Amino acid sequence: MNVANLGLVLEDLEDKAFDPFMVEKLSHGSTPDPYPAIHALMAKGPVHKGAYRDHFDAVPDVQMAGLNHYVVLGYDLVQQVLLDPTFTNREAFEHNLGRSFGRTVTVMDGPEHTRYRKIFQRAFLPQTVAKWGGSVVDPVVKDLMGSFICKGEADLVEDFTHHYPFQVIYRQLELEPEQAPVFHKLAIAQLLSSIGAPQGQEATRKLGDFFAGLLAQRRANPGTDLVSHLATAEADGERLPDEVLIAFLRQLVNAGGDTTYRGTSVLLAGLLTHPDQLASVTADRTLIPQAIEEALRWEGPVASTWRHATRDVTLAGVDIPRGAILNVVLASANRDPAKFADPDRFDIFRERTVRNLAFATGPHVCIGQHLARVEMTRALNALLDRLPNLRLNPDKPAPDIVGHILRVPEHIHVRFDQR
Amino acid sequence: MQAWVCLNCGWTYDPHVGIPEAGVAPGTAFEDIPDDCKCPACSAAKADFELMDL
Repeated sequence: MNVANLGLVLEDLEDKAFDPFMVEKLSHGSTPDPYPAIHALMAKGPVHKGAYRDHFDAVPDVQMAGLNHYVVLGYDLVQQVLLDPTFTNREAFEHNLGRSFGRTVTVMDGPEHTRYRKIFQRAFLPQTVAKWGGSVVDPVVKDLMGSFICKGEADLVEDFTHHYPFQVIYRQLELEPEQAPVFHKLAIAQLLSSIGAPQGQEATRKLGDFFAGLLAQRRANPGTDLVSHLATAEADGERLPDEVLIAFLRQLVNAGGDTTYRGTSVLLAGLLTHPDQLASVTADRTLIPQAIEEALRWEGPVASTWRHATRDVTLAGVDIPRGAILNVVLASANRDPAKFADPDRFDIFRERTVRNLAFATGPHVCIGQHLARVEMTRALNALLDRLPNLRLNPDKPAPDIVGHILRVPEHIHVRFDQR
Repeated sequence: MQAWVCLNCGWTYDPHVGIPEAGVAPGTAFEDIPDDCKCPACSAAKADFELMDL
């Protein structure tokens, strides 16, 4: 543990009874399956006026209200928009993630974005995060599995995936273990500004204050941890500005923890509800990479993202004015019947056609995707190795993937034989 | 071992595989890939790749 963070304490929310995890679940709604609505929209055309969220039962997003929304659907058009510099991030994300995290690379475009992104991506290259597998990821897996491995049954979400990626990131930051619950709580609370919860900005401020202090400590006494590395990294001969670093760290504890928990949960739910495919993967672990890609295609962690139109433009015959906010529905790309046969079916053996867009594409493609794959791989291998005859618990409800924008099964009740 | 890695997204070029979707055949050295070829994962330019230790 890095002794340099001793003395720094992350303040909890003032209202200790506020449960951001529950509020977050409520804010995402309980849409069981958005895909019928997505397919119905796609059948009418790839571009529609209005917000993606409007088609589902969800708490209103106050930060994105009043903007001129258009929905973009289908693989080719989603890919086109994500690759076209006509459509920028800053003016879209400054309404939401910019308020929650601050000046992150998500709210930058052009040369400024490229300059900073390269530094952050370098810290998460495949060969770099692969080394975390043994040193950071496996110990987290072992610790979490320790709570249920002797019980013969578990809820793989509540007992495992919900905590797993967050704890990996937390260990990589080398922060004090006792503060992890408060960190997780504030990381999730940051995004609740979207529904007008004041705890959102409170969490943003408190995490900012903490990381400012941490950066000062780690610059004065650098270690080998991720924060020390970023605190002393340079872009064009200059150190990264504090506001960019702090924003990245605020985003990291959320993005690194929240999305991969969903991806890992979906991977497990997909395999457990398709026992023949689970058996194949159990017997042949070389199938894990394609199982992961199919899970990401089938139910990616983020169903829709945002872009801003910098000029008047026509997409698929629809005129879109300058200033419009495009809801770029990644989930529609990944279930596009023009690219994926029988797209709603989970099939790890499907013919490989095009890359899935779960991590988007273009300049803002997910920085953490390689770490996500390492974590999903390690988790699946460990569960299959140590939980013999892993199967759904027939006495409890089957996993139900819910949500319209961030989708996840709330529970995965399993049984397994004990060694 | 070294490989050419996209600095924007970390995608790593494997010369044994090539880039089928871009018409780059297996066995093509990175240096022989056309200069206007883009990263298949994020569309970054060939110039944004760096030779790195794996």
